[in-house]
Amino acid sequence: MKQVSKIKKDFPIFQRLINGKELTYLDSGATSQKPNIVIDSMSEVYKQNNANVHRGTYVLSSETTTKYEDVRNKFKKFINANSPDEIVFTKGCTEGFNLLANSLCKNLSEGDEILLSEIEHHANIIPWQMASDRYGLIIKYVNVDDNFNLDMNHLESQLTKKTKIVSLVGESNISGMLPDIKTISNLIKNKTEALFILDGAQLVPHREVDVQELGIDFLCVSGHKMLGPTGIGVVWGKKELLENMDPVYGGGDMIEEVYYDKATWAPIPHKFEAGTPPYVEAIGLGAAVDYLSDLTMAEVQKHSDHLRLYAKNSLEKINGLNIIHTDAENAGCTFAMSVDGAHATDISLMLDTYGVAVRAGHHCVQPFHRKLKIDATFRATGYIYNDEKDFDTLANAIEESLKILR
Amino acid sequence: MSIEAKVEKYKKTLSLFPNPQEKYQYLIEQAKLNEDFPPELRIDDFKVNGCQSQVWLVPEEKEEKLHFKSDSDALIAKGLVTLIASIYSDESAQDIADSEIDLMEEFELGVILSPARRNGAFSMLRMIKEFSKKLAN
Repeated sequence: MKQVSKIKKDFPIFQRLINGKELTYLDSGATSQKPNIVIDSMSEVYKQNNANVHRGTYVLSSETTTKYEDVRNKFKKFINANSPDEIVFTKGCTEGFNLLANSLCKNLSEGDEILLSEIEHHANIIPWQMASDRYGLIIKYVNVDDNFNLDMNHLESQLTKKTKIVSLVGESNISGMLPDIKTISNLIKNKTEALFILDGAQLVPHREVDVQELGIDFLCVSGHKMLGPTGIGVVWGKKELLENMDPVYGGGDMIEEVYYDKATWAPIPHKFEAGTPPYVEAIGLGAAVDYLSDLTMAEVQKHSDHLRLYAKNSLEKINGLNIIHTDAENAGCTFAMSVDGAHATDISLMLDTYGVAVRAGHHCVQPFHRKLKIDATFRATGYIYNDEKDFDTLANAIEESLKILR
Repeated sequence: MSIEAKVEKYKKTLSLFPNPQEKYQYLIEQAKLNEDFPPELRIDDFKVNGCQSQVWLVPEEKEEKLHFKSDSDALIAKGLVTLIASIYSDESAQDIADSEIDLMEEFELGVILSPARRNGAFSMLRMIKEFSKKLAN
C-alpha cells in the first residue's frame, strides 16, 4: 500500500493540532476521516453540476444524474455485485437494516424466527425487535464464546425450519471478530430457507468483499465509515429478492404510475429510494470507492492485518489492561479495552489531552457489555491512515493516563 | 458565599491550570476529596441521565437551605459534579431557581463542558434547577 505518511497528506484533518499535539485518530470504527478527493468531489457538484437527479431535461440535471448513477456501477464493482440495480442507496447502515426488517418481516408468519448474535450493533437488533413486536416473530441470539468469537456449534443448533432470517455482523466493532461467513452461509442453506443478511459496516471499509463468493443475500454498508460522507449507505441485495420485496418508503421517484387510489412501483433499485436522494453524498461515496480501489482492498486488508498484530502486541504489554479482542488468527484492527479501577470515560478524556481520539461507552453494543458485566469500554480502531506510531502514542498515553487515574 | 461568588472562586482556580490535562487533574483531586457519599444512595432515583458514566446527585433540605450530595463511578465526572454540587449547596431553593449563571460559559472545561444539550454536565445542572424550582414553588 502507499506509505501511511503519504496517505495522511490526502486527509486535510491531519494538519490539525489537538491540545497542541498531532492528531492520533483511532476512532474510525465510529467514523472515518475524509480524503480531499471525497471533499472536493462533493464541493465540485455544488459548484459545477448541482440539479435534482432523474427529473430535469437540462444539462446540469443530466450531469448530476450521470455522476450519481455511476456510483452504483462503482459500488457494484467494489463488492462484485451482479448488477448496478442491486445497489440501493440508503442514508446509512442503520437505515439499511430498518429497510430490510420492515420489508422482509411483513411476509413472515407469527412464530417465525430471526437469528442474530450476542455481539450485534444496536442497528442490527432494534429494527428486528420492532418488527418482531409487530408480527409476533421470535428473535434468537447466537452465543459469543469467552474468546469473543461466534459459537459455531450453538449457531448450528439454532438453525431450524422456523429460522427465516439470519443477520450477523461481518466484522465486530467490539472484538474485531470476523465470522466465517462462507461456512455460515453453507450451514444456513443446508438447514433452512432463511435469508442471510451481513452487517458490513466495519467489514466493507477494511476487507475485500465479494458478495457472490460469500453466499449472502443482503449486505448493509455505511458510507461514512469507508472514507465517504455521512448520510449515505448501501443495501446490496440479490436482484430476484429485491424485485419481490415491497418498498418501505413512499414518495417521489419510487413510483411508476400514481392514481388517486393506488400506485405502482418503479423498478429496482429506485422503488426503495423515495424522494430526492442524497445524490451529493452518493457522489462523495463514489470518490471514496475510487480512493480505496486505487489503494486496492487487498492492500487495505493487508495493512489492517499488519497494524492489528502490531497494536495487539503493544497493548498486551500494558499492565492491567483488559482487552476484548478475538483470539482468532484473522481479525479487524479493533480493540475494546477496560482497566479495573479506572473508568473508560476518564481514560478517553485523558487520552484526548495527548491528542489521541478514542471512543468510550458501549459502542452501540450494550447487551454484550452487560453480558460481560462491563459498564463501558474505550475502543481504538485503526485504518489506512494509521501506522505503528499511532499505536505507540496510544500505548504511551494509556500508561501516562493510568498513572494519574489509579 | 453566594452562588456567583462560588462560581467566581472556581473560575479563578480553574484558570490557574492552562491545559486540559491539568484541569482534569484538578477535578480528579476534587473527586478524591469527596468521599462521604453513602453507597446505598447509588440508586436509579438519584441517577443523572445523559452522562457517559454513572452520576448520582442527592438533594437534601436542611434549615431552608439545599444541599447536594454527589458521586460518580468516573473520576473526572465526579470532580465536575462535586464542583457543581458545592456551588449550589447551602443556598435556598429560590436563589438556585433564580440563578441564571451559565456554567458552560463561565468554566473553560473544553470537551466536558461543551454547550451541547446532550451533555452530562447540562443534565446535572438541569436536575439541580428542576428540584429547586419545584421546592421554590
